[in-house]
Amino acid sequence: MSRLLGRRTLLALGVAALAAVPTFANPYVVFVGNQLMLYVILAVGLNILVGYAGQLAFANAAMFGIGAYGTGLLQVHFGVPYYAAAPAGALLAMLIGLAMAWPALRLSGLYLALATLAFAQFTLWVFLHWESVTFGAGGFKVPPPSFAPLPLPSNLGIYYLSLLAMAALVAIAWNVVRSRIGRAFVAIRDGEVAAQALGIDLFRYKAIAFGMSGLYAGIAGALHSALLNYVSPEGFDLFQMVLHKAMIVVGGLGSLAGSVVGATTLTLILEALREFKSTQEIAFGALLLVFVIFMPDGIVAALKQRLQGWEEPLRRVRGRPGAAAGAEARP
Amino acid sequence: MLGYLVLSGITTGALYALVALGVVIVFKATGTVNFAHGDLFMIGGFLAFTFHVLMGLPYLVALALAVAAGFGIGILTDRIAFRPLMRANLVSLVLATVGFSFILKGIARSVWGGKADLFAFPPLISPDPIFLGPLIIIPQQLVAIGGAALVMGAFAAFFRLTRIGKMMQATADNPKAATLVGIRTDRVYMYAFGVGAAVAASAAVLMAPLTLLYPDIGFVLFIKGFAAAVLGGLSSLPGAVVGGLVVGVVEALAGGYINSSFLEVSAFVVIMVVLVLRPTGLFGATAVRRV
Amino acid sequence: MTMLEARGLGIGFGGVRALDDVSFAVREGEIRGIIGPNGAGKTTLLNVICGLVRPDAGEVLLAGEPITGLKPNVIAGRGLGRTFQTSQLFRGMTVLENLMTGLHGETRAGLFAAAFGGRAMLAEEERAREKAWKALEFVGMERFWDRPAQALSFGQQRVVEIARTLISEPKVVLLDEPAVGLSLNRLAELDRLLRRIRDERGVTLVMIEHVIRLVMGVCDRVTVLQGGVVIAEGTPDAVIEDARVIEAYLGRRVDARRRAS
Repeated sequence: MSRLLGRRTLLALGVAALAAVPTFANPYVVFVGNQLMLYVILAVGLNILVGYAGQLAFANAAMFGIGAYGTGLLQVHFGVPYYAAAPAGALLAMLIGLAMAWPALRLSGLYLALATLAFAQFTLWVFLHWESVTFGAGGFKVPPPSFAPLPLPSNLGIYYLSLLAMAALVAIAWNVVRSRIGRAFVAIRDGEVAAQALGIDLFRYKAIAFGMSGLYAGIAGALHSALLNYVSPEGFDLFQMVLHKAMIVVGGLGSLAGSVVGATTLTLILEALREFKSTQEIAFGALLLVFVIFMPDGIVAALKQRLQGWEEPLRRVRGRPGAAAGAEARP
Repeated sequence: MLGYLVLSGITTGALYALVALGVVIVFKATGTVNFAHGDLFMIGGFLAFTFHVLMGLPYLVALALAVAAGFGIGILTDRIAFRPLMRANLVSLVLATVGFSFILKGIARSVWGGKADLFAFPPLISPDPIFLGPLIIIPQQLVAIGGAALVMGAFAAFFRLTRIGKMMQATADNPKAATLVGIRTDRVYMYAFGVGAAVAASAAVLMAPLTLLYPDIGFVLFIKGFAAAVLGGLSSLPGAVVGGLVVGVVEALAGGYINSSFLEVSAFVVIMVVLVLRPTGLFGATAVRRV
Repeated sequence: MTMLEARGLGIGFGGVRALDDVSFAVREGEIRGIIGPNGAGKTTLLNVICGLVRPDAGEVLLAGEPITGLKPNVIAGRGLGRTFQTSQLFRGMTVLENLMTGLHGETRAGLFAAAFGGRAMLAEEERAREKAWKALEFVGMERFWDRPAQALSFGQQRVVEIARTLISEPKVVLLDEPAVGLSLNRLAELDRLLRRIRDERGVTLVMIEHVIRLVMGVCDRVTVLQGGVVIAEGTPDAVIEDARVIEAYLGRRVDARRRAS
């Protein structure tokens, strides 16, 4: 089965299916589809940091928020157009992500978790209390971006922009995790001391992991602000933080396919739970527990046991050089 | 002003210390941190509110019932969110306790009220402040501090004097040796979660008259307790108490002297700075890298 | 030529001198054994040499150049490899991937090359794979290339770890108790492998070892540590005769045996 449906084919099919959605679906479905794509970007970025590089960081929702606030505030305060504000917001998130590599060099495990949690709470506090800039708890409206020369209304423009960003970012992540950089990430995760003994610079690769994950979250944030045309602290709170973590754990840590599967599963579950407002929290918590307990390595690992021959090696590794068996053609 | 701020800082600090004690005891026994710990506090507070305010039971009876219920929910945390995952990676373990925290929060919201509902607990004794020269003291603060000291004393006695306490101490010091002498570590995990939760519940009952209760209080309190525990080195019980008091006083001073909105955030700033400068906490031993 | 030299190394942990004025020099192509009772400071010595722990006195020279105080990854890049007492293979990788990670210092692709999968980067990956494959063949583990590292037996993991260190063509490799837990057959294989590493690859080896049989068989010279101090150095035969060594090291073993019975 895997032979017939190569990963590249699957990605292409997924992208084609998502591209076709707006032609038949109602605006609500388009909106959910768009949100799903942003979650895929977030989950892929977070999985690079947590699943591959093994850094137990909790600031992803904050990075998401920094991307959204950066993008939105540049437009509102300085009249910067979206196409310039969005990359600026995403870059800001990346820089702050990079800065976090510094404490991460000395902290690990629960200590890093606490430091990043504290940073996330601090960020949220800034969103809430620096009212002259961030407009406080109520948030602020962002003008819908215009895709002027293209015949696209704003929401469809964002939809296709998100699709483009998602496809590119997933492909980039795929290449990176299978390169020597991906191997350095996993080496740091599985044994910092041994990694150093092989010449791997911990700071450099932690910085790359934090920076990439910050950039992914920032891009998602920049798109998010345009998707909702509205930015408020609530979108980046504890629940978001847990949601992103849940996506990568439910899907599979250290697996890009897992990020996509996890983001999709949880987006759909959240939509389904919307009906049961009062018990949404309980159901979400319970589902989280059930997933973690019964599929501790994620949906993807569980699928692998069922589907013979479906492997997802980290890198493009195959046997004896030049051997054809298992080889994947490269463009 | 300073005296008042320090006193109120010590009062909230005592609360953080109690939460931190629970974090530390679970960490010492299991090597992980229970992210639902703050929600155990929250549930304890709501139960006490139900027993005392809604059902009219005497305060001390409500306290006992809430502590007992806390112990039970703690054991439930162990059974549901920790035991099945003991060998899983840290991320999954943490996420499982987060899931449990959502369940507790959801239950509290559906039983006691929605997002914006705050519950006031009636004061135990006269709410009028006492003026001691320049010092303004709210009697309930003294009750809370005294109660917290009592709980801490009981906690220390539990570890020194009871069989279970000694078992837990031995397991924390040397898990392998503990297994060899026949200590059942699964029992120890269970009691760690239970006792930690009971302390959190007692803290909730002590503090309820001074603060407002709402379903979302748990997580913020957990982070502060976690921060206090880390300040104290994460595996030291006296360290947790000192860490809690430090966080409480720093908050009160930042709130009083800088700006009231800084009260909520100062603890996070402090813990970030401390972790960057001294990664093992103020009282932690310097970490030796294991090869 | 002296390949690795320690000059007056010292380090203390909380008042205890874990190493005190430790000096020795290892010739190119030598296999040097470091023995001593538990707690003698042997692993600390390796940690100091490879840069994990910074000494408070003395210096380390690799091929005549000082490496004291450099970061471990920089020292690794200068040509010093290291294996550990417990297997430090990366659990989440296959055997071949583990070996390719050993080539980290030699490969160059940056983030952008990796992200966009350029031609040069792909060629580099291909070369790395070939090299990794050759290293696997050298230690005779090629049929395990696609196994997850954690699926290997203890002894196999040890051998793969040695191969992973060799792949970057280091000048010196430090081995921390390579024979721990090996059966007699495996021990003979390790003995052969270590000689081949020296003879065919020209690598200088420094190993901590408790298994006297291996030390006697393969080491050119032996340094004896006790309480952080070098108490003897010489050929295995000479060292084993040394009264102080017998007292410090073997004496204690006899002692331990008596206590155990």
